[in-house]
Amino acid sequence: MELSESIKTLNFVELLEFQPNRYPFLMIDFVTEYEPGVFANGFKNLTNNEWFFPVHFQGAPNMPGALQLEAMAQMLTVAITTLPGNKGKVTHALSHKVRFRKEVFPGDCLRIETKVISWKRGVCKGVGKGFVKDELVCDAEMLITIPDIFEKYLPKK
Amino acid sequence: MSNIGKIENIFRQEFNLDEKFDLKTLTYQSIPEWDSVGHMSLVASLEDEFNIEMEMDDIIDLSSYEVAVKTLVKYGVE
Repeated sequence: MELSESIKTLNFVELLEFQPNRYPFLMIDFVTEYEPGVFANGFKNLTNNEWFFPVHFQGAPNMPGALQLEAMAQMLTVAITTLPGNKGKVTHALSHKVRFRKEVFPGDCLRIETKVISWKRGVCKGVGKGFVKDELVCDAEMLITIPDIFEKYLPKK
Repeated sequence: MSNIGKIENIFRQEFNLDEKFDLKTLTYQSIPEWDSVGHMSLVASLEDEFNIEMEMDDIIDLSSYEVAVKTLVKYGVE
């Protein structure tokens, strides 16, 4: 299959231009491929040094589900912030429906695949899946927004 | 079903309003369900139902049920 010329990667430094979250809340390390407005895939490597492992939980470290969801939402964000005019824009979550299937441990690589279902007027509906060693560990339906755009369409009170 | 009936149905379904609720009194943010997210969902449902794409100014001005009915006339929904 011939890949579209628009499919690109983002390393950790390049990623920062399109994802406004920063340590300790940036939950993705690398975007292995993306197509603006269509999809973004990549991963988060989890070492034993992650800030949350010592407290979640002592003696039984695993990645909090909320942060797995955050990782998927951040990856989906990249699919939108790479669209022309959206670079550097802040995104907000509107609603998410998520299912956690397996625990994610220190040493795991959380591979994330996200797809845009619709993007209109600053609102993105999308889906995401997280995998460890090709096993599905979490998946979500997500609604995220870029308030800068979204708010332009709201009635004035 | 008439178009006005379809519009009414969309408003009632989007905002969980029963038949007793007088839609003529309904305005943006007058009920918790018609918030910013509800507004975008309402617009999307109206567009899907009538196969139209509303202009930005009309979406901003669509601040009540009655305005919605009038605005949709512009798109051939009467």
